[in-house]
Amino acid sequence: MNAQRLLYRDTISKSIVWLLAVPALLIPAIVLCYIFWQAAPVLDWGFIVGTADGAGFGITDGIFAQLLGSLLLAVMACVIAAPFALGTALFYRTYASPRQQRLLTAMFNMLQGIPPIVFGLCGLVVLVNLFAWGISLISGAVVLALVVLPLLVLNTLATLERIPLDYTEAGMALGLGSGTIIWRLWLPRSWLNLLTGLLLAMARALSETAPIMFTATVFSGVVWPDSLFSPVTTLQTHIFYLAQEGNDPQVISIAWGSAAVLVLLVASLGLLARLLHKLGEH
Amino acid sequence: MVADLTAADFLQASQQSPEKPSSNIEAAALQVESLGLQLDGKVILHGVSFSLPTSGVTSVIGPSGAGKSSLLRCLNGLLTQWSGTISVAGASTRQWHGGWDQLRRHVGLIAQKPVVFNASIRANVCFGIHGWRQRRRADELVEKSLQQAALWDEVKDRLDAPAVTLSVGQQQRLCIARAVAIKPGILLLDEPTASLDPRSKQLIEQSMQQLAKETPLLCVTHDLEQAQRLEGSTIFMCDGRVIEQGESKQLFTQPQCIETREFLRWSVCDCN
Repeated sequence: MNAQRLLYRDTISKSIVWLLAVPALLIPAIVLCYIFWQAAPVLDWGFIVGTADGAGFGITDGIFAQLLGSLLLAVMACVIAAPFALGTALFYRTYASPRQQRLLTAMFNMLQGIPPIVFGLCGLVVLVNLFAWGISLISGAVVLALVVLPLLVLNTLATLERIPLDYTEAGMALGLGSGTIIWRLWLPRSWLNLLTGLLLAMARALSETAPIMFTATVFSGVVWPDSLFSPVTTLQTHIFYLAQEGNDPQVISIAWGSAAVLVLLVASLGLLARLLHKLGEH
Repeated sequence: MVADLTAADFLQASQQSPEKPSSNIEAAALQVESLGLQLDGKVILHGVSFSLPTSGVTSVIGPSGAGKSSLLRCLNGLLTQWSGTISVAGASTRQWHGGWDQLRRHVGLIAQKPVVFNASIRANVCFGIHGWRQRRRADELVEKSLQQAALWDEVKDRLDAPAVTLSVGQQQRLCIARAVAIKPGILLLDEPTASLDPRSKQLIEQSMQQLAKETPLLCVTHDLEQAQRLEGSTIFMCDGRVIEQGESKQLFTQPQCIETREFLRWSVCDCN
């Protein structure tokens, strides 16, 4: 009787767990399927490569300019943020006093909680207007770098924490200074994991729309920025603008197509990051 | 307790500048006086005093938790928050010229678990070598160090192979070679043959005896037979104190303290 009751309880708890877990797995899958189903009519090589002359506002000329703009902004943001993230994490792990560590932790937790549009607004006021950089690639990249900085710092910290203590101690026992330990032991050992963090940050940068709306992008008319101070077009803002044209089915299907490409791009970065992480663990 | 600390905590500890000297003791390769250590409120070492001769092997035996490994960490400067005096070649380690990093070069430490770096065998041996003069004769140094660690014959044809491809016993000997390459004045070994096969154990002991002719060795071991085989002198520690120190032969055959006798007989100690 007792055993039967235990079995009954076990079955109920299993059912509850399944009931809670299945929607969480199913809903994203349904959303993804829906995006690709809607995007299917426009998705082809011509749509991605297009003519890229900007004449069709990303509707008749493909989304190549937008794709490149998104990638350029994400890469530049990570290139700007990465050295600062690495420096901050190394400072935190090696030289910072416990008080400074607490301060840094609080600051990065706070930075992570700030809505990205606030960064966009700050970028508009300071970079676009005060520094007179205008709506440009550099303004957007700097603002996006600020958005991904906390993520990169926390990832770098986690990577450094995974380095076994005896590995560091073995270096210290040889009389290696902290600088040598960082450059010759820590970084060569963890560069794959640091690269993983960089890819994840790039995926995050690709997902952001608000910070670049005021600082970097224009709807169309721009194919390829001439300089760091030229505006760009991006997939994120392209989807945003097209979605506002809710009455035109052709425009909406272009928006779905752009969304599918963006999802594929972010998913590819995620998969690559996962692969690198596994290699790093190995 | 030590395991709770992160790599960075250790690195941070190494940044603390050494304090002012307390005394200047001559003679002996290493002299320890009234060494005390407290970690997280727990007393690990209490009034430890002993000296290390200028050559030969000194074994440290004692039950688990006696503070043997912590003692080595204090001597090497991996732990710096101790009290008392540690003098190396007559100079207090707290005022060592060049700070703790330089002290660690002079007082080498080989851990129980071999740790090889993500590099080739050759690069691992050269890891601690500084200065262009030393680097110019790196090949010569690599060969000599590997010979001293009884590893040369096994790896001479694959010096550029990754060090991780070596067996655990070979990795431990590579760690010895790496430590020897920087020519330390004193070498500390923390259970260097624990969990190794008999052949590797024998090779490491041979290497230690060879090294001990030039460099004083302080070896923590749980293997009482090994301590006897290594000869030299033996220190028996229990509950963070040195209970007895003497010539190995005498300590193992005619121990003076009842605690030593009990430990040698039953491998337990009821000091605490």
